[in-house]
Amino acid sequence: MISIRRVSKFYGDFQVLADCSTEVKKGEVVVICGPSGSGKSTLIKCVNGLEPFQSGEIVVDDVSVGGPKTDLPKLRSRVGMVFQHFELFPHMTIAENLIIAQTRVLGRRPNEAMDKGLKLLERVGLTAHAEKYPGELSGGQQQRVAIARALSMNPICMLFDERTSALDPEMINEVLEVMVKLAQEGMTMMVVTHEMEFARKVARRVVFMDEGRIVEDARTEEFFGAPRSERAQQFLSKILHH
Amino acid sequence: MGYHWDWAVLFRAVPTGETTYLAWMLSGLQMTVMLSLSAWAMALVVGSLMGVLRTVPNRWLARLAAGYVEVFRNIPLLVQLFIWYFVLPELLPPALGTGFKQMHPVAQQFLASMVCLGFFTSARVCEQVRAGIQSLPRGQMHAALALGLTLPQAYRHVLVPMAFRLIVPPLTSEFLNIFKNSAVCSTIGLLELAAQGRQLVDYTAQPYESFIAVTLLYLMLNAIVMLGMRQVEKRARVPGYIGSGK
Ligand SMILES: Nc1ncnc2c1ncn2[C@@H]1O[C@H](COP(=O)(O)OP(=O)(O)OP(=O)(O)O)[C@@H](O)[C@H]1O
Ligand SMILES: [Mg+2]
Repeated sequence: MISIRRVSKFYGDFQVLADCSTEVKKGEVVVICGPSGSGKSTLIKCVNGLEPFQSGEIVVDDVSVGGPKTDLPKLRSRVGMVFQHFELFPHMTIAENLIIAQTRVLGRRPNEAMDKGLKLLERVGLTAHAEKYPGELSGGQQQRVAIARALSMNPICMLFDERTSALDPEMINEVLEVMVKLAQEGMTMMVVTHEMEFARKVARRVVFMDEGRIVEDARTEEFFGAPRSERAQQFLSKILHH
Repeated sequence: MGYHWDWAVLFRAVPTGETTYLAWMLSGLQMTVMLSLSAWAMALVVGSLMGVLRTVPNRWLARLAAGYVEVFRNIPLLVQLFIWYFVLPELLPPALGTGFKQMHPVAQQFLASMVCLGFFTSARVCEQVRAGIQSLPRGQMHAALALGLTLPQAYRHVLVPMAFRLIVPPLTSEFLNIFKNSAVCSTIGLLELAAQGRQLVDYTAQPYESFIAVTLLYLMLNAIVMLGMRQVEKRARVPGYIGSGK
């Protein structure tokens, strides 16, 4: 479904991604972790073409992301994305946030889009908040709205970028619950997270990044059992024991 | 000093007898309002467009818009007005140029004034819109694109509406400025409020009353705009939104 082959990316002289390759098959969940600044967000933004890359190739559902003839808006409308800072549109109500792309991109009728939006809100447990504005919700609630917004487009796969800094545990739980369920329903997902419980529970593989490189790409049980690289070992012991 | 105050002068008939000095002043007020509002509408449309162009990921378009701002912001308003009114009609293709010169003189003055004030102010609106858009987190654009919106749609539905909400206060001061700047147009003979004030002085020899009346009318316009914009600001407020985040 998602195939990343030898991708490198630079910001000027600074190399953010170095020769990254990995693959996410249909129905698979792959977790990406690594220290801050290692390029995790950049990598998943390359997957739907939000960040251009200088070499290598990314193919999503047989469409080459960097291809000159690729219809990027169309491709993006089929790839759900949840951002590190959620990025709900602050001047729109929650309902409007859920509807805008359905009507403008997919051409659904407003009432059809509204039905879909409300159904998804129910699914993430936020029915009561449809008429509120994003600024009036907690972080965890905003994140669930962002998930619902991405799902409203009936995506073929989802990209998650989670905030890695410590959040309150309650928030993590309410969000993880939604994500675990999605995974169990067979959604193809690429998830940047430091929630190792989530990785253990649903991830097929764990990708560990450091300084723009994919240092380790192993099956989940192998990764937690005995990470090969020293950097991954250090990283694991740090986040598992804090 | 033996100044003889005489407020009744405002209600006295003008030499031709057909109306009062007050009516002159009010017609000047009307001209100022019409001119300012139409120029403001133009400034908002052109300024928003240019402000967006300033931020698009296309170097040539962004440069074009930057050049636009430099030109209209850095040439004195008075010079711009003379160019629009005296110079440009000569440079236009003859058909257009004579077309302009055959218009009613007041229409010529009004048109040149509106275009001049409109473009001048649009450069300032443009900079506010640019600042508003750039103050939004980069992720907003990404989020819009990630949903499959095209770049124009992302601007139209996400970036521009939010940016405008953030820049209501600086836009208010530009709106106020356009009323004040409109006084410059009296130099090409347009009988707006300031020009009528001067005319009153010439005819009545009561300068204090005339200028005080003009000043009060400008202050009144100012107050109305402020009150109106305060309502706009209230309606534009985004619930729960604190600052621009990062
Ligand atoms: N627009 C940009 N211009 C220049 N450098 C950038 C830009 N965006 C990111 N970087 C740099 O690229 C590197 C990778 O950033 P990225 O956001 O992908 O890291 P991350 O792994 O997601 O970190 P975190 O865990 O903190 O979210 C960082 O060093 C960052 O400073
Ligand atoms: Mg990140």
